[in-house]
Amino acid sequence: MALIEWDDRFALGIDSVDHEHREMIGLINETWDHLQREDSFPVLDFLGEINARISAHFALEERIMRERKYDQYREHKAQHELLLDEIRDIMDDYEDREVFETDTVAERLREWFLGHFRTHDARLHRKLG
Amino acid sequence: MFAVAERGLDRVFGQRLNPFYHLGALSFLSFWIIAASGLYLYIFFETSISGAYPSIEELTHGQWYLGGILRSLHRYASGAMVITAVLHLLREFSLDRLRGSHWYSWFTGVPLLWLLVASGISGYWLVWDQLAQFVAVISAEWLDWLPIFTDPMSRNFINAAAVSDRFFSLLAFLHIGIPLALLLLMFVHIQRMTEARSNPPRGLALGTLASFIVLSLAWPALSQAPADLDFAVGSVDLDWFYLAIYPLVDRWSPGAAWLLAAGVTTVVAILPWLPPGRRGPAAVVNLENCNGCGRCFADCPYDAVTMQPRTDGASFAEEAVVADDLCARCGICVGACPTATPFRRASELVAGIELPALTVHDLRERIQGKTEGLDGEGRVLVVSCRERPRVAESAGVVAVELPCVGMLPPPFVDFVLSRRLADGVMLAGCSDCDCRYRFGNDWMDARVAGERDPALRARVPRERLDRYWESRPARSATAARLERFREALKSLGPYQRNAAATPTREVRDGAD
Amino acid sequence: MTSGVQKSGSAGRVGQWLGQAVAYALFMGCVGYFATSPAYQHTAPDQAMLKLTISHPGQSREACRERSAEELAGMPPNMRAPMDCPRERSPVTVELRLDDQQLFNAALAPSGLHSDGPASLYRRFSVPVGTHQLLMRLNDSVREPQLWHEARRQLDLKPGQIVVVDFDSPSREFLIH
Repeated sequence: MALIEWDDRFALGIDSVDHEHREMIGLINETWDHLQREDSFPVLDFLGEINARISAHFALEERIMRERKYDQYREHKAQHELLLDEIRDIMDDYEDREVFETDTVAERLREWFLGHFRTHDARLHRKLG
Repeated sequence: MFAVAERGLDRVFGQRLNPFYHLGALSFLSFWIIAASGLYLYIFFETSISGAYPSIEELTHGQWYLGGILRSLHRYASGAMVITAVLHLLREFSLDRLRGSHWYSWFTGVPLLWLLVASGISGYWLVWDQLAQFVAVISAEWLDWLPIFTDPMSRNFINAAAVSDRFFSLLAFLHIGIPLALLLLMFVHIQRMTEARSNPPRGLALGTLASFIVLSLAWPALSQAPADLDFAVGSVDLDWFYLAIYPLVDRWSPGAAWLLAAGVTTVVAILPWLPPGRRGPAAVVNLENCNGCGRCFADCPYDAVTMQPRTDGASFAEEAVVADDLCARCGICVGACPTATPFRRASELVAGIELPALTVHDLRERIQGKTEGLDGEGRVLVVSCRERPRVAESAGVVAVELPCVGMLPPPFVDFVLSRRLADGVMLAGCSDCDCRYRFGNDWMDARVAGERDPALRARVPRERLDRYWESRPARSATAARLERFREALKSLGPYQRNAAATPTREVRDGAD
Repeated sequence: MTSGVQKSGSAGRVGQWLGQAVAYALFMGCVGYFATSPAYQHTAPDQAMLKLTISHPGQSREACRERSAEELAGMPPNMRAPMDCPRERSPVTVELRLDDQQLFNAALAPSGLHSDGPASLYRRFSVPVGTHQLLMRLNDSVREPQLWHEARRQLDLKPGQIVVVDFDSPSREFLIH
């Protein structure tokens, strides 16, 4: 069972962004798989991959926002920065084994993705899509 | 060669204003002073044989408070431009910034020197004093050596009766046309640089301008005795910046002077290709990891990266494309790429843009390998650029070298510190405004301050990062700096991420 | 922009200002000095100058000859000029002697692709001041190698004086200024 299911509400209408969102969901779901199997090493690697992909995704999204002169660019970007810090927190916590309960990690990941999506990306979709 | 002088000037001017880092810009500044003062002088100049000299005398003495000063500024800025241009050329040569993709800048600089000298020569000719007479006669003899005139040009200056007013008009026209060509070529010269620095920093510009004015007031530029072609010129006060070759033409022969000039010009012009430089392959884009975010394009100092429509059918709009001949192999683009992060799984650690000579994967392995040998307290990983002298390694210090410090993706600092591979990271780069690849330390400073993407995460404790910008430090200076850093690190205790969960960075609209 | 590096080790702000002033003074000193010094001596005070300059077309190498009737008949109608004058000119031989010293003696080739332009010359000689005897000779035809145009002149040269020796083509005479 996947942690996050794709929903058409997630579609922003911009091909590249939607593609990356799909990819992100796929990665998170794969991480969830490894979490459930409790093999720690690949989990860290996947978290790292999520980190890289989301950095690139945010970079692209920010570029699009700038080019289209999105009015809430600053706020949205500030959110991106927070999210990048959070994913690093999740990574470090997992590595330090401070939080090992798979459910907690999974929930954090899920909330991490959906929380931003429900608010900022949804607004972006309305404004630009 | 310049190291000693530059370190002394660093201490006195501060790195940002050190004139040695702004020699090209100072040449531009001199040009503007020359042009502005020249415009004013031209209004009062009479283009006739009888009128030229008196009109300049009137300006110099009758209007000493304005026209006279401007004339002196005109002359002295011209001389200064030659000095700064030659120093600039010598410096770039000593730093070997003329090979590979730099050949364009060097090569276009050669005709610049000729145009500069020609501008000055035509200017001195206009005064029609003894020096102008000397210049006229010797220039004609020099040019006559070339088989371009059927009637020797020297016949125009054979005696007072031979010179015509029309010739003077031609000279005045040349003295505007040649400097215009010079200006055009100056802009061509800085083409292959993104945001070329053609303006010196304000403090330096003001200081230079003020010193020019002081010099002009103390030693006003004066004309020598009026020209009289019926009498040979005896002794002249020569401007050695522009007319140094004239005694050679006079004493040796026009032919010998041409040989020297042509020889020197040729050798200087082909320097970029003598002996072959080892450049290595240019940066390579990996489309699987590139989504067209454009950060490498924004950071490249040489306009070598452009964003083009996608070619692999992916749903992204654009991809980065590298022009091999423009790429300086500095790696700054790699430092800008969001996928160049060492936290990724090894099998996939390929960044969107890479330098084949040092991939991100290899860099991570090298860092991991080297830091394994670190021992004790206050362990430091030094990431140094190749322009700097090698850092001495020890039980507590290891060093890794990159073409430019700007190549280091900021997540690497996070990686090294959070995984406790070292207690501190020192970035060792060139001095401010002296980065060999122009923007290395500027970009790193901005990334660390959170002003430029990819920003160093706020969670990374800045006390564990030392940025040492000094191009040619004495070995003792580096050792002392490392010592101080290590002491500070020891007192910090074990690694802890920065408490701040909210980023402290200022998000600027659209600015990067 | 902060650099994380403070260039310390200087003597404080006053020392910095002083140092900058010294640097500027040094630079401007060079600019000011070399803009007019050291002076260059072009002509020594005990010397005068002689300028030999010629721009003169030599006579044609071959004389014009009249074309015969058969030749004219064999030529296309638009080219039937009665005289055939070859364009090539003779070299111009010039000799210049000051007192008993030969300053210049050479044959000047005609200019132009077909060697039909004027031969030209410019030479500058430094000669001591005082009284001298000047002898100039010119021959401009290979068909008349014995025909020399000559001129003699006594010169009283003052320091720095320039004397120009020219040849006027129309009058076929030397001009001395």
